[in-house]
Amino acid sequence: MANPFRLPMAPRTIRNLLSRPATRRYPTEIRPRFDGARGTIKFDVETCVYCMICARRCPAAAITCSRDERYWAIEHLTCIGCNVCVEVCNKNSLSMSTDSKSVHVRAEVGPEGQRPGHEEWHGVAPQPVVAKA
Amino acid sequence: MKRTVIPFGPQHPVLPEPIVLDLILEDEKVVDAIPTIGYIHRGLEAMVERVEYTEMGFVVERICGICSFMHGMGYCLALESIMNVEVPDRARWLRIIWAETSRIQSHLLWLGLGADAFGFENLFMHCWRMREEILDIFEKTTGGRIIHSVNRIGGVKRDISDSELVAIVAKLDELGKAFDKTARVFASDASIRHRLSGVGVLSMEEARAVDAVGPMARASGVRLDTRLTGQNLYDQLEFEPVLETAGDCLARVVVRMREVRQSIDLIHQMVEKMPKGEGLPLETKVRGMPSGETFTRLEQPRGEVVYYVKANGTKYLERFRARTPTFANVPAMIKLVKGCDLADVPNIILTIDPCISCTER
Amino acid sequence: MDKESFLTRVGEYQKGGWRLALINATTVPAADEATPGVFEVTWAFAKDLEFETIRETINQADAVPSVSDFFGAAFLYENEIRELFGIDVTGLGLDLKGQLYKTATRIPFAHSAVKARIEAAAAAAAASAKKA
Repeated sequence: MANPFRLPMAPRTIRNLLSRPATRRYPTEIRPRFDGARGTIKFDVETCVYCMICARRCPAAAITCSRDERYWAIEHLTCIGCNVCVEVCNKNSLSMSTDSKSVHVRAEVGPEGQRPGHEEWHGVAPQPVVAKA
Repeated sequence: MKRTVIPFGPQHPVLPEPIVLDLILEDEKVVDAIPTIGYIHRGLEAMVERVEYTEMGFVVERICGICSFMHGMGYCLALESIMNVEVPDRARWLRIIWAETSRIQSHLLWLGLGADAFGFENLFMHCWRMREEILDIFEKTTGGRIIHSVNRIGGVKRDISDSELVAIVAKLDELGKAFDKTARVFASDASIRHRLSGVGVLSMEEARAVDAVGPMARASGVRLDTRLTGQNLYDQLEFEPVLETAGDCLARVVVRMREVRQSIDLIHQMVEKMPKGEGLPLETKVRGMPSGETFTRLEQPRGEVVYYVKANGTKYLERFRARTPTFANVPAMIKLVKGCDLADVPNIILTIDPCISCTER
Repeated sequence: MDKESFLTRVGEYQKGGWRLALINATTVPAADEATPGVFEVTWAFAKDLEFETIRETINQADAVPSVSDFFGAAFLYENEIRELFGIDVTGLGLDLKGQLYKTATRIPFAHSAVKARIEAAAAAAAASAKKA
């Protein structure tokens, strides 16, 4: 039987009392994401040829694309961030940014260029202070 | 004696996942338990009918958030064996490095949850703080904390540079030292001992009879570990499964604690033995459609997982089945719950490390 | 299927110290409209490093005998194939009475359900291709 008066956790508890917290004060302090982390899909309307490969390969069917209408859209909430569309894109129109997923629900690009679907509903998210790495 | 039925779950303070047990009680003793799952049945197995086999890997990875890497790896291994794809050496080593890292992650997560279940919140936080370091390693190397999406049929998508590997090993060593201090608390704290020792004893014969797998079986002294088959390069590593003989809740905690240490040691060996250099091939291009069927076995953190894949020469598979470790451990859990006190039920359920998302798919 | 010889074989596995690794069913669609589809049911056994299977092909109307007498853990797999595939299992060790899964389709892997899903997916794909 273990000694009930032995408190193996006590030294750690005391040390924790005196040391700085292990957590960050989110959202005022955000840990910068690592290079190569998968975040949000970014789309470049200038180079896209609407070949529709990304829409066909997307496992979550988050991308809608139309060659005739020259239309491309992504449902950010359906996107699972697997990076397949970026890998298959022949024109490098798609890229993965390290930004964490925003509140934007959907991004669309129509024939007249950039058209920010529902993004404008949310306005610009307040930019928190990013801690120095 | 009058019998009382107490529904346990799907919402319960100690359970992060929805399982229902109808506990039939006589006084304080549980005499029978009837499981119901199905609250998070997503029909992932049926998705093979409309998701192409190349993309199905990402879906399979999402069966569970803890063994996500192993699920992706198991699916790719199954398809590779059907299609006779030779995977580049470095990719195979990288896979098992990630696999062992996710084992550490899973066990730390579980130790935290276990501590939470018997009311040791402070210990829970310490375990999860260590787990955060592992998640950082994952984010750095695979791009995702939980869902890694690096496995492709034929190899892996990302490389870890040699210098980065050395840094990871150093970080794991540091983590191991911090973990030893926490492990000492698990091993010597009187309240933990009081709560877990002698509770939910599964003898070796019983463990064999109910086909328990993973840490559950190893805590009862059954030498059962799919890694022993030597597949996936484990034959090149020095390794002996962690065995405990007591078979109670404490033994299951101890097995997982020792496995964290063992995984760190295995990663050491892997980094030493893997082929070094920049720009080594990581992926074999896969052509054609799969045809045939296969069973693949892997040792996940929770135990043995069996994948069955049947392909019929089209881009859609005919059948994909994952028999996850929790599915195999549910009979053992029911066996343990019968005859125990109502107050011990949460601890017993938690020590099988239930993952209901895995069980239901 | 020959139930007698099947149960004898399962009994031999149990005596030989094997454990039940998996019971799996597969919906095998019919080659043509006239014949009904069948199910492939596979019992997989593992012992240390070895892995062996018994495969039976059964019709919708057939029942498979339960192996609960030999392997205590079989009831979960057997309840599963009964609920998801609609295959009748005789002599279940613990009958969960259709309570194991809660699914929207009553028998999601029955031939009719699988066919309906594949057709719906094909129709959706055709519709989106037309739109594009």
